Amino acid sequence: MDYSDLRRQAAYMKKSLFDQGYLDEQFYQLEDLQDDVSPNFVEEVVTLFFKDSSRLLSNIEQALEKNSPDFQKLDSLTHQLKGSTSSIGALKVKNECTLLREYCNKENLDGCFRTFQKVKREHAILRQKLEAYFQVMTCNIYLLFCVFCFIFFHIADFWEAYFKSAAFIALFFHDAFLVYLRGLVQNND
Amino acid sequence: MEAMQKLAAPNASAGSNYGSGLAIVTVAGAAPEQFPAGLRVLVVDDDVTCLKILEHMLRKCRYHVITCSQAMIALSLLRERKGCFDVVISDVHMPDMDGFKLLELVGLEMDLPVIMMSADGRTSAVMRGIKHGACDYLIKPVRMEELKNVWQHVVRKKWNESKDVENSSSFEDSDRQGRVADESEYASSMNEGTDASWKTQKKKRDSKDEEDDIELDNEDPSASKKPRVVWSVELHQQFVNAVNQVGIDKAVPKRILELMNVPGLTRENVASHLQKFRLYLKRISGVTQHQAALPSLFCNQVDAKTKCGSLGSLDFHSLAASGQIPQQTLAALHAELLCHPSNNIVFPAVDQPVLLQASNQGSKFLPLEKEVAFGQPLFKCQSGMQKQLPPSEITVHGMSPGFSSWSSNQLGVTGSNNKHAGLSNIQNNSLLMQMLQHQQQQEHHQESFHYMVSDSNNAINVQPSCLVVSSQSPSGITVGCNSGPINQKSLVLSPQPSSNIQLGNNSLLASSNSTSNSSNSRLNNPPLGMPPAANGDFKDIGMLSTYYPTSSLSSSSVCTSSAAGWRPQNNMKISSINQRADQLPKLYIQGSEQIAGASVNQGQFRNLGFVGKGTCIPSRFAVDDLESPTNDKGFTKTSTFDDVEKVKQELNLDFLDGTKKVGNAMLPNFPSTDFLGSLSNDSQFLKY
Repeated sequence: MDYSDLRRQAAYMKKSLFDQGYLDEQFYQLEDLQDDVSPNFVEEVVTLFFKDSSRLLSNIEQALEKNSPDFQKLDSLTHQLKGSTSSIGALKVKNECTLLREYCNKENLDGCFRTFQKVKREHAILRQKLEAYFQVMTCNIYLLFCVFCFIFFHIADFWEAYFKSAAFIALFFHDAFLVYLRGLVQNND
Repeated sequence: MEAMQKLAAPNASAGSNYGSGLAIVTVAGAAPEQFPAGLRVLVVDDDVTCLKILEHMLRKCRYHVITCSQAMIALSLLRERKGCFDVVISDVHMPDMDGFKLLELVGLEMDLPVIMMSADGRTSAVMRGIKHGACDYLIKPVRMEELKNVWQHVVRKKWNESKDVENSSSFEDSDRQGRVADESEYASSMNEGTDASWKTQKKKRDSKDEEDDIELDNEDPSASKKPRVVWSVELHQQFVNAVNQVGIDKAVPKRILELMNVPGLTRENVASHLQKFRLYLKRISGVTQHQAALPSLFCNQVDAKTKCGSLGSLDFHSLAASGQIPQQTLAALHAELLCHPSNNIVFPAVDQPVLLQASNQGSKFLPLEKEVAFGQPLFKCQSGMQKQLPPSEITVHGMSPGFSSWSSNQLGVTGSNNKHAGLSNIQNNSLLMQMLQHQQQQEHHQESFHYMVSDSNNAINVQPSCLVVSSQSPSGITVGCNSGPINQKSLVLSPQPSSNIQLGNNSLLASSNSTSNSSNSRLNNPPLGMPPAANGDFKDIGMLSTYYPTSSLSSSSVCTSSAAGWRPQNNMKISSINQRADQLPKLYIQGSEQIAGASVNQGQFRNLGFVGKGTCIPSRFAVDDLESPTNDKGFTKTSTFDDVEKVKQELNLDFLDGTKKVGNAMLPNFPSTDFLGSLSNDSQFLKY
């Protein structure tokens, strides 16, 4: 069934994120925290992180655009961002944040600007990847639901023909969707 | 220990959502696990992501977690629920307060182990954390393994503290140790080894503690009694003198000890006392800064206290603070007097809400049986102060035995269980009378928290408005200066079938509605009988007569109550002075949860009778009489006390009406405990 295919897909995506250094071990810690009590914990935390970090990023941007930037404030903002990113295991973003902090300490405005752009970019990339990843994760549910419906309705004979075709179509779309996802992932690689 | 553990668990499980949106309380199952379950952790971090992650991690560790994103909220939470936390985990960089400052405060006030966290992993930062006294310094990202070890810090700290000579803290510690040890007993083999090591440690420590007064008894901490160093007034006086001599900033325990030259006093005693003293001062200065709600009130009180202050400037501060924070003092006194191992000795009340919280807190932990003793010191404290104060100045902050105090100008007394008993500070010589009642618990003499403020007779007569606010825990009414329409009136807000307040001339008793705070006013004396309806709510009087047949009053003012409903819970009764001519006017406030309905009134007003003595002295209900009908659920008893000596622990709230006569009558009633007596009570606070 394509269900296992989907699972494999998700695992593959995750592995590539790790291999490419977007995520580090802290992400495993987050996944360990996910259980029956909080089944979507990782996704919740990541969403929360992106919301909070976007705010921080815009604050940093504002601080940088001032005529005489307050490096202390910049430093403290970057420190906060670094703490957040390290908490969810966003490795690349964290590294860029560290660099940015160093430039802030040296009060190198130019360096700060450049590094900040990098931070923003890495942040955006990670966001994209993780969103795709979570989509695949939730696809599992969608697929399960489809399968369930199919089996359920298959009991009634006079629906049989109808649903057979419907199932076929659903599966077809599902396959197409998977292909699309694969394409996405490969594009991002 | 089991009992203690059980005690701890309900506390933790009773926690509710608090404050900031991120505060969540979970009750983790206390299933035996590898690490001690049920450890109560408070996490403070402004980073929401990290906070959420930490919370989940700690929950996985089977700890009870409460999260907080602001340091101020965390502090107030810690103060409010003393003894409800075992460890605090705090971030270093926070917008509203530095993490190290929070660390210091927590360490000083609550003496909890604090663990710092930061993304900054430089050695210098870590060193700074350790220097500030952090138990541990975690570097973000925080991993599960590090959090699993949190309990070790808790235990270690407590064992180290128990080595101290400090009696009270060690008493707490042994309590906590009992809990912690108990928690650890949940553990499996991992902890069994530590148990054994603990026991050996304990034996070692016991042998070391020959000269210590502490008896470490994990088995039955609550039963052990320890001789304590009693910081009597003289001793405290000596201490303060010594500190003044050396200079508060340069005060070192050793030096102070030398200066004090008291045999039998150890350096550790002095050290702990000094620590507490410093904390006290800090809190005082914090209180003076945070008087948003009642600036003048406290100032007045402070002024009043200055007159009385005869001890050094530091003592003045403590007195002022004690005046301002009476319930804390009382609680401390109470704790001190009863050698009660109280964790609540220190109640910082930096601002009114906190003050109120503290008062709530204070009321909470007063055990029932200590009521009597508690009453005494309270009383002494109050009376002592009164002696020194100008005639119109009586300050009463009280827990069960309410003792009203008032300053010449006005007075706000805060302290209600629920705080808002808003002291409305009436600027222009208005009287603020506030009665707070504590509901059900008062009935059981468990927590009575009264706040009575009455103005001096002079004030009443002269003052344009005397505002009496009665509030109860649920209602917590704050009344502003409602005296506008009333000249020279004493405004009595009575929630319920009100009582009769006999006021002096031209004093109006107004019972207030919940919404409008309007009150029936009545004039006293000269107009006999029913006072003219100065306010619109005169219907209350009619109602009163309906409900309280006995309420007719010849010479005294009519008791009016706003049946319309103040708050259902509040019930104020004022009884005329029957029994004793020199009774202090009392406003008997009883709270009930019922709506100001006839039922309540009828039940309560058994002897609502204004036995007009013609003296315009507010009548006073006998406590017993009123209490018996108060079988209403949640009917709050008000304590009545005729005079100082008779402060009872009944939880009746007395409303002291300040009429001229009342004032005069009241003053002489105060026992002539001297100021030092009260001071000793205050200073008892420092002892622990």
